[in-house]
Amino acid sequence: MLLSVTEDIGMSKPSDLVQGTLDMLLVKILALEPMNGFAVSQRLKQVSGDVLEVSDGSLYPALHKLEQEGWITAEWKTSEYGRRAKYYSLTRLGRRQLEKEADNWDRLSSAISRVIKLKEA
Amino acid sequence: MRPVHWLYTIPLRLRSLFRRAQADQELDEELRDHLERAIEEYVARGMAPREARRKALLAIGGIENCKEECRDARRVNWIQDLIQDAHYGLRMLQQNPGFTAAAVLAIALGVGINVGIFSVLNGAALRLLPIPRAEQVVSIDQILHGRFKRNSHNGASMFSYSEYLNYREHNHVFSGLLAYEPFVNATLSGGKMQELLGALTSCNYFDVLGEHPTQGRGFLESDCATPGGNAVVVISDDLWRGTFASDPSLLGKSITLNRTAYTVVGIAPPGFKGTEPIPSSFWVAIAMQKALDPWSDRLADDNLSWLALLGRVQRGVTMQEVQADLAVIAGRIDQVHPGRTTSLSIRAATFFNRQTEREILTPVVSVIFATFGLVLLVACANVANLLLARASVRQKEIALRLSIGASRWRLMRQLLAESLLLSLIGGTLGSLLAFWSFTSITRLIISHLPREVSTLAVNVAPDFRVLAYALGLTLITGIAFGLIPALQSSRQDLNSALKEDGARSGPGKRSGRLLLSVFVGTQVAVCMILLLATGLLLRGLYYAQTVDPGFEMKGVATMFLNLGQQGYDENRGTAFVGRLRQRMSELPGVIEVAQAECAPLSHDFSADAFTVPGRVEKIGIEYNHVSPQYFSVLGIPIVRGRGFLPGETHASPGVVVTESTARRLWPDEDPLGKTLRESSGREYSVIGVARDAQVAHLGDLHTTYLYFPEGTPDNLRAYVLVRYAGDFPGTAKAIRNAVQSLDPDLPVDVAKLEDYLEVWRRPSRIVAALSGALGALALLLASIGVYGVVSYSVSRRVHEIGVRMALGADGGEIRNLLLRQAMRPVLVGVLVGVAGCGAVSQVLSSMLFGLSAHDPIAFLAVPLLLLVVALVASVIPVRYGTRVDPMVALRYE
Repeated sequence: MLLSVTEDIGMSKPSDLVQGTLDMLLVKILALEPMNGFAVSQRLKQVSGDVLEVSDGSLYPALHKLEQEGWITAEWKTSEYGRRAKYYSLTRLGRRQLEKEADNWDRLSSAISRVIKLKEA
Repeated sequence: MRPVHWLYTIPLRLRSLFRRAQADQELDEELRDHLERAIEEYVARGMAPREARRKALLAIGGIENCKEECRDARRVNWIQDLIQDAHYGLRMLQQNPGFTAAAVLAIALGVGINVGIFSVLNGAALRLLPIPRAEQVVSIDQILHGRFKRNSHNGASMFSYSEYLNYREHNHVFSGLLAYEPFVNATLSGGKMQELLGALTSCNYFDVLGEHPTQGRGFLESDCATPGGNAVVVISDDLWRGTFASDPSLLGKSITLNRTAYTVVGIAPPGFKGTEPIPSSFWVAIAMQKALDPWSDRLADDNLSWLALLGRVQRGVTMQEVQADLAVIAGRIDQVHPGRTTSLSIRAATFFNRQTEREILTPVVSVIFATFGLVLLVACANVANLLLARASVRQKEIALRLSIGASRWRLMRQLLAESLLLSLIGGTLGSLLAFWSFTSITRLIISHLPREVSTLAVNVAPDFRVLAYALGLTLITGIAFGLIPALQSSRQDLNSALKEDGARSGPGKRSGRLLLSVFVGTQVAVCMILLLATGLLLRGLYYAQTVDPGFEMKGVATMFLNLGQQGYDENRGTAFVGRLRQRMSELPGVIEVAQAECAPLSHDFSADAFTVPGRVEKIGIEYNHVSPQYFSVLGIPIVRGRGFLPGETHASPGVVVTESTARRLWPDEDPLGKTLRESSGREYSVIGVARDAQVAHLGDLHTTYLYFPEGTPDNLRAYVLVRYAGDFPGTAKAIRNAVQSLDPDLPVDVAKLEDYLEVWRRPSRIVAALSGALGALALLLASIGVYGVVSYSVSRRVHEIGVRMALGADGGEIRNLLLRQAMRPVLVGVLVGVAGCGAVSQVLSSMLFGLSAHDPIAFLAVPLLLLVVALVASVIPVRYGTRVDPMVALRYE
């Protein structure tokens, strides 16, 4: 699976989230600051309080697809240890997409919340 | 994705397309970098380095797999896939050279002949005229409906002179409208005598076409002002170079056509041969019509169809506007002829344009295209078979790919790409062959046409239309033979394919074997139809060669005199013919001389609708005006009554009917003395009955025909028939001298009567030869197909054969079993083919010279031939395959 949601009690069945959601999260992380692939997955785990975790096997295909679509762009930089790493950053197109996706997500999640919070008879 | 977005991503996609190697290397670096960081992280958390490395690798799910997925994500999709498929396909084709060669050859043959015949059609009917800005030029036909009386000189859809002037004066859409009469015959005299073909044209002919004579001038309006006024002529470049040997001072000199002198005012540009498929040698102003053909005044006849119209449309005017504008004029003309409505057909001007020509061409072309298409179908079925056979061999490989996650669609796409590659190679080869050979084939066919059609102005060289057709046909062919095998191969039962030996499971599958049988059956059926057509045509030809035409052809010379065209009038003509016949009968070696309006089988005929007084029924009967010696010169016996007496002319009411006519009109009665009425009301009585003879059309022995006595109008246009003893050249020379002694300027052409029969046979011979070649081709393809399928299925069942033999079956039993199974689809195909042949024979019946369209010999011999060939093609691989040691067979994989 692409993205697993780990529950507090540890190992339990992870639920799948759609590819689109993963893309949105990755792009949002990169909106904070440019970083390389490893850092993106670490940061995602961190800011979500260890709830959201991207499997490494799905991270890079997703990043490459986002780059192909033009939402993010990449450049090779020499990092602090003198080794070359690929740093991704958001493009203007990606920023516009992000706003759109975030709006959609808002509407979707509030709708779901409303339904879930309905008082049972 | 929004369109703008997609455009934005093109540079990125192009970059990944072209810098794949670099992208791969970067990907590698990126993943390794990730791994190192992950390992560091784990080590920092306290894990051992080796453990950390293992966990990191696990997390990434396998480096190669991850790389593959990244590559997938970057893929520019179909372009890159296509290139990949093409590479793979080429490799596969190279690995199986035998298969590739067989398939490419079959496709090349099928596509090649179709492209070739299309290029012929293109040159004849689709290509615009070879004049400047030909897309602006249209041809106009008219079709008359309702009640009307109309005379026709050249074609029923043509116009009269006054109608042409009307259209020219009152249209608002043409920058120029010209009219011309095609196929005008003239004799060039003075020095070397020659029969020429040309056209009578309106004086704006060269201006509208844009082909101004390179030497001298075209016509001026003053040339057409008065009928018979200005005798000027423009000659073709070929005529100038040939007959006049490029005489530089020819301009201004006069030449004699049909006894009138014309001044040469211009020489047409080299390469311009007029606007008809048969090249014109001269163009004369239309005002000179009566001078060229004194026997009819066409300019004055308002109700005669004799002129073809071509118009150059003004720039910016649409076809609808042209149609509407001309329809107004047509309506105004119709008002003078109550009860008649005219509809106009306006088309881009090509060489075969007129309604009447199209009506003749269309069925012929359809038949030809259908036939060639059938051969292509056989070739496709052949290649599909080969592909199916090969796919079974690759079954294990395909199953493996499907099981590790390739989508079925992806696999099918790749198999289709292979097929398209095959068909592109084959199609290109075939098209090249076609272009190279069809020009020579066309020339060969033209050389066999009647003498009057010595060249054709059509150009069969390939142009964009032909190339587009070739490409389209190639692609369709590729999909046609590739689709079913691709569908078949990708639909696999993975389990059994992987478990079992792939070789063995192939023919075991019911649907796979059925498909192979269906393809074999199809090939055989189509081949059957083609061969049967050939068989019928050949039989018809043989029949025509041996049939007794009912009259004596050998030892008769014939000569055509067109005195009217040479300026004779009735009296002069009668005197001339009388003296000529007298002189000819005195020649040594001449037994008898006769005269007739139409010579037998000369393509000249007259017909009228006759009635029997007292009956309502009108019967169309062909007739001939003959001198009394006609019957004895041709050896046609008079079986009842008498022939004509010397001195008996058209004024007397006696006619001679043929046996069939008598049977038709007065069955079971004595025809002598009975009356016939012709359409003008004049009545005749029967004085004699002649034996039936195929004088009108070959193959028509029992049609109605009757003979009138000769009359003086016939002396101006007649055939003279001479029965002679001795050799032909000597007799011909003597006849020529006799004619020239009476009139040195009269062109005379003496031919053998047998040659007329030749002209009838020649087209059928060409058609029979062509269809024979096609039939042989189809037979070759079908037999290769049968051989291939049978040998393949035998080789697949070697294991099973080994088992049977080990269990005690002997070789003969096995052979019989295999043969029976192999011949089953062949038999089905033959039966289907025979059933389908009924339609074919109907179409061919016009070419069969009276042979029955369901000729039993052809319908028996051809299926037998096909069965024998298929049997041989099956026996060889079966024999070969069963001559095997059982122990070897059992171990065979």
